[in-house]
Amino acid sequence: MTKLYKRFSAAMLAAVLAFSMTACKADHTKDKEKEPVETENTDSKNEAKDTKSADPFGAYENEITVTVGRQTLQNPKMPEGDTYEDNAYTRWLKDRLNIKITDEFEANGDDYNRQVSLALSAGEIPDMMKVVSQDELIELYENDLIADLTDAYHTYASDYLKEVYASYGDRALNNVTFDGKIIALPGTNADSGPSEVWIRSDWMEQLGITVDEDNNNCITIEELEMVAREFMDKNPGKAENVVGIALIPWLTSGDSDGTFSMNSIAYAMGAFPKTWMKVDGKAVYGSTTQETKNAMVKVAEWFKTGLLDPQLGTRTWDDISALLANGQTGITFGTWHIPDWLLNNVRAMDSKAAFEAYVIEDANGKVNCKHNDATAGYIVVRKGYEYPEAAVKIANLFYDELVNSKALGEKYPEVMKYQADGVDGSVRPFNIEVNSYTSLLDDYSDIKGGVSGEIAIEDARTTESKNVISNIKNYLADPANAEIVDWSKYHSRMKGIALIQSLTESDTFVWLTPIFPQTTQTMETNWANLGKLEEEAFIKMATGAIEVEAGFDQFVKEWYSQGGEQIISEIEEQLK
Amino acid sequence: MKKEKKSRRRYSETMYHLMMLPGMFFLILFSYVPMVGILMAFQDFVPAKGLWGSKFVGLKHFIYMFQLPDIAKIVRNTVTIALGKIIIGTFMAIAFSILLNEIRHKFFKKSVQTIVYLPHFLSWVVLASVVVNMFNLDGSVNQILSAVGMEKINFLGSNKTFQPLIIGTDVWKEFGYNSIVYLAAITSIDPGLHEAAAIDGTSWWKRVWHVTLPGMLPIILLMAAMSLTSILSAGFDQIYNLYSPIVYESGDVLDTYVYRIGLVGRQYSFGSAVGLCRSFVGMILLLTANRLTKKLTDRKIF
Amino acid sequence: MIENKSFSSRLRIVIIYVIVILLGLSCLFPLWNIVAISFSGSAAVTANRVGLLPVDFTLAAYKKILEDSQFWRSFLISVARVVIALAINLILIVLMAYPLTKSSKEFRGRNIYMNLLIFAMLFNGGMIPSFILVKELGLLNTIWALILPGALPIFSVILLMNFFLGIPKSMEEAAIIDGAGPLQVLLKILLPCAKPCLATIALFSVVGSWNDFYSGLIYIQRPKNYPIMTYIQSLNVDIQEMLRSGMNSSALQNITELSNKNLNAAKIVVAVIPLLVIYPILQKYLITGIVMGSVKE
Repeated sequence: MTKLYKRFSAAMLAAVLAFSMTACKADHTKDKEKEPVETENTDSKNEAKDTKSADPFGAYENEITVTVGRQTLQNPKMPEGDTYEDNAYTRWLKDRLNIKITDEFEANGDDYNRQVSLALSAGEIPDMMKVVSQDELIELYENDLIADLTDAYHTYASDYLKEVYASYGDRALNNVTFDGKIIALPGTNADSGPSEVWIRSDWMEQLGITVDEDNNNCITIEELEMVAREFMDKNPGKAENVVGIALIPWLTSGDSDGTFSMNSIAYAMGAFPKTWMKVDGKAVYGSTTQETKNAMVKVAEWFKTGLLDPQLGTRTWDDISALLANGQTGITFGTWHIPDWLLNNVRAMDSKAAFEAYVIEDANGKVNCKHNDATAGYIVVRKGYEYPEAAVKIANLFYDELVNSKALGEKYPEVMKYQADGVDGSVRPFNIEVNSYTSLLDDYSDIKGGVSGEIAIEDARTTESKNVISNIKNYLADPANAEIVDWSKYHSRMKGIALIQSLTESDTFVWLTPIFPQTTQTMETNWANLGKLEEEAFIKMATGAIEVEAGFDQFVKEWYSQGGEQIISEIEEQLK
Repeated sequence: MKKEKKSRRRYSETMYHLMMLPGMFFLILFSYVPMVGILMAFQDFVPAKGLWGSKFVGLKHFIYMFQLPDIAKIVRNTVTIALGKIIIGTFMAIAFSILLNEIRHKFFKKSVQTIVYLPHFLSWVVLASVVVNMFNLDGSVNQILSAVGMEKINFLGSNKTFQPLIIGTDVWKEFGYNSIVYLAAITSIDPGLHEAAAIDGTSWWKRVWHVTLPGMLPIILLMAAMSLTSILSAGFDQIYNLYSPIVYESGDVLDTYVYRIGLVGRQYSFGSAVGLCRSFVGMILLLTANRLTKKLTDRKIF
Repeated sequence: MIENKSFSSRLRIVIIYVIVILLGLSCLFPLWNIVAISFSGSAAVTANRVGLLPVDFTLAAYKKILEDSQFWRSFLISVARVVIALAINLILIVLMAYPLTKSSKEFRGRNIYMNLLIFAMLFNGGMIPSFILVKELGLLNTIWALILPGALPIFSVILLMNFFLGIPKSMEEAAIIDGAGPLQVLLKILLPCAKPCLATIALFSVVGSWNDFYSGLIYIQRPKNYPIMTYIQSLNVDIQEMLRSGMNSSALQNITELSNKNLNAAKIVVAVIPLLVIYPILQKYLITGIVMGSVKE
C-alpha cells in the first residue's frame, strides 16, 4: 500500500515539476531547444539550398516540412475524405515544391485567435501561421519571435505577387514593415465599396413609384423616405406588422459597407462614424463630429415619424433578416454581396422578389466612401525556422500560379476541380487573400463581357467568374423561374458591383482615406468603456430617450473626458 | 482489547487517506498546478512573453477595475441579477420538488420530471431567439397584454423590465434541473416520519413544514450556500444573447464588461483580476454561510 | 399511505396537478419549437414563421444529418467521453465522500483535505496554465484532455458527503462492530442508502460532460475531433463578426449555407435525445433507492 502511495506521489511530483519547468521556459527556450535538432541534418539541406538559384517556384530537393496554424471554416466543402492537412492543394504543394504541410493547430474563425494566444503562451509557435490583427503582429515582432522576411520577399516573390502588393501603392507592405524590415506576408483587403440601399423593385413597379430621375442609381434621402413611406402605407408585401426601415441596435458600422447600419445616411451627410481620420493635421474620431450629429438628428426624426422600426434597439440581425424575408420591409442597407447570402432568403419566400441597388448621394450629388485598410491577416514565420523563403514560395504558388496558370488543369485536375466546385479558400495553406486592388472591378468586367458575349466564358480570369457568368446567363434566360443561386449572383454582380463600377466610371465617388491607428495604451484600458458610451448614447438619441441636440454634445464631452482626449494625443504621436 | 482498537483505528485512518488519494492526485494536478495562473492578475500578461516573462504590475488591474466609471452600476446590476436568480431559483426548485413529490401517478411524474429539465440542455444562443419571439412587441406575451387591454411593453428594450426578464427566464430554464437534487433529498427522508404524521391527522401543510422541509434542510442550506459563491456572475451567455445598448444601464454586468474589454486587446490580466475578486467574494460568502449553518443547525455544510 | 379524501385534499391534488402541468408545458415549449423548426423549410425559418407547428414540412434536415459524417464522429466522441468520465467521476467521488464524513478526530487531516477542496472549487488559474499543463502532459488532442481535468467534480463530493451524513449513524456502527472496514462500510451500507443521490451525481456528470463545449475548443486542435457540443457550438456563427473581419463573399455564402437554422435545430434535437434517454435509466436507480429505503425500515 505504501508503495502505491509512493508511486502516486512520485508521479504527482513529476508532473508538477514537469509543468513548473516548462512554465519557466515558457519564454521560448523551447524554440532554441528545437534548433539544434534541426541543424543536425542541415548539411544535406544546405546543399539543396545552395544548388538552386532564386527560383520563385523552385522545388526543394529534399522534402521540407512546415508546421502551420490554420484558421479553418466550418463548411469548406471539401470532397469526402480530404482534410485540411491532406487535400488537393497540399498534395499539389508537395508535388510542385516538395513542401509538406503539418497542422500544429486548426480552429474556426474566432476560436483560432484563442489557439494562437495559447500557442504563444506555451512558448511554441508553428513554423508558419496566420495572425489576424496587426496588434498581434506587433506583439510577435516586439518579442522577437518572428523571422525577418525582407530578403526572402525580395529574392523569391514572383513578379505578379509583387505587382499585386504594389497595386495598393505602398500601403500594403508598409503595414508589415517595421524598422525597415518586412516581417510578414500580408493578406490584402481591397475596398468594399459603399453601403448600398437595396429596395424591392418589384414592389416599386407594382405601386408605380419612380425614383432616380437621372437613372444613375443615386437617390436622395428624401426619395428614400418617400419610398419607405409608400411601402408602409400600401403594404405591397401584404404582411402583418409592417416596418419602414430596420437597423441594428448599434446603428453605425466601422466598415463603409456596414450591412443593416445607418452608414448610408451618415456618409451622405459627410459623417464617418467609427472611423479615425486626419483633419487639418489632427486625429479626429468620426463618431464625435458635427456631421454625425446631423445624421443622428435625421435618424431620430425617422424614428419619431415612424419611418424607422419601432423596435429599434432590440431587433437582432436575425430579426431584421426575418423582416425582409417576410415582406414586412422592402428596404435595407448592405454591402454589394448581400444578395448571395442574405437576400436569397427573400427570394426563397417570394419568387417574384427582385431588388434594385442604389446609393444615397450627398447635397452635391456625390457619393462618399472610404478606403479600407490595405491589409487583413498576416502570415508570419517563426524566428529560427530554416526556410523562411518557403512562405514566399507558397504564396507564389497559391496567389500567382493558381490564379494565372492556364495549364494547371492538365497536370493537376483535382486542383481545378476544387476551384470549379467552390471549395473554400481556407483550405489553402494560408487562409489570406492576395488580390489586386482593382480585382473586384476586373472580375466584374470579365463577368459583364462574358454575359454579353464579348468574351468567351473560358477567357474569364478566375474560376469563380466563370461560374458566375453561367449563373447569370441562366437567370437572364428565364428570370421568373430561375434558381435562387442564379438570382443571387445576378443581383450581387449586375446590381451590386455594377453600381460600384458605374459610380467609379462617372467619378461620383468622393474617397476618404482614414487612418488606421494601432491600439494605444489608453485604448486598451478605456476603449471598451468609450464604445459602450457611444452605443448607449446613439441608441438613446435615435429612439428619443434623450434629445439629440443636448445629448450629442454631452456624449462628445464625456467621450473626450473619459479617455478620448488621451487616445487622440497617443494616435497623433503614432502619426509622427 | 484497547490495543486492538487502536490498531484498528490506525488501519481505518490509513484507509481514509488512501481513499482520498486518487481524487487528491487529480485535484493537485489539475486544480492547484494551474493556479500559478493567478499571477496573471498581477501582471501585464502578454502571450508572447509567457507567464514568466510578462511584467509584474502589482495591483494595477484591481485599481483600474475599481476606478471604472460605471463600476458601481455594473456591480449593482450583477448582484441584483445574481441574487434574484439565486433566491427565486432556489425557492422555485424546492417548491416544485415538493409538489412533484405529491404526485402518485408514476408515469406522469417521470415524464414531467424529464420535461422540466429540458430547457437546461438548450444553450442560450438557441433559447434567446425563443425568448425574443415571446417577449418582443409582436410576441405572444404582448398579444396577451393587448388582448386584456393593457399597454404593450418592450420587455427587452426597457431598463425597468430587463432585469426581471433575465431573472425570470433563467429561473424558468433552470428550476427543473435544480429540483433534481431536492427530489433526491425528499426521497431520502424516512417515510416512517410521514406516515406517523399522517396517522396523527396532521394537515398537508404542516407535514410539509414539519417533516419534509426539515428533512431537506441540510441539502437546501448546502445548495443555497454553494449558489452564493456565484453572486458576482450573472450568467454571461444569457445576458450577452439578450441585451443591447438600449439596456446597458440595467443589463451590463461584470462578465459582459470583461468580455467587451477583451475585444479591444486580449486582456487576460484584467479578466484574471476580476476572476480573482469574484473567487474571493465567493469564498467569504461560503465561509460565512458555513459558520451560520453550524450555528443554526449544529451541522456544517463541509 | 392513508389519504384523507376530504374535499380540501382533493382540491389540493387538483391544484398541484394544474401547477405541475402548466410548468411542464412551459418547459416543453422551447424544445417543441425547435423540433418544429427542424421539420420546417429553411426559408420559413429565416422568416421567423415557425411557432408550434412545422411550416413547409420537410425531412431534409434529418436526411442531411444522416449523411453528415462529422456529426456522427463528434457524437461518438462525446459518447465515449461521457462513459469514461462517468466511471472516473463516480469512483473518485464515492471514495472521497466517505472519509470526509468523519470528524477531524476520527480522521486526522480531514479538515486540510476539505479546505483544499473548497479552495479549488472557488479559485482557478484560468485557461492558459491549464492548457500548458495539458499540453505538457501530452494529453492535447486526446479524449483524456476532455476527461481528466474535470475528473473530480468537487460539488458532487460535497453533495454526496452531506447525503452520507444524513444516513443514521447506527447502521454504520453496527457494521463496524461486526468487523467491517471502511471500504466495506462504504460499499455495503452507505452506497445502497445513497442511491438517489448517486443517481443525481451520475446525472450531473453525464449532463456536464455532454454539454461541455468549452474544453473542446481549447484542448482539441482539430475541428474534426470536436465533441458534439463543441461541434454544434461552432455552427453558431456570428455573421456580423465575420463581416467585420473582412470575410469574402464566397466564404460567407458557405457559412450561411451551413448555419441554416433548421439544420442546426435538427442537430440540437438529435444531440439532446441521449440526455432524455439517460434519465429514465438513472431513474431506475432512483426507484430502487426508494424501495431500498422502505425495506430498511
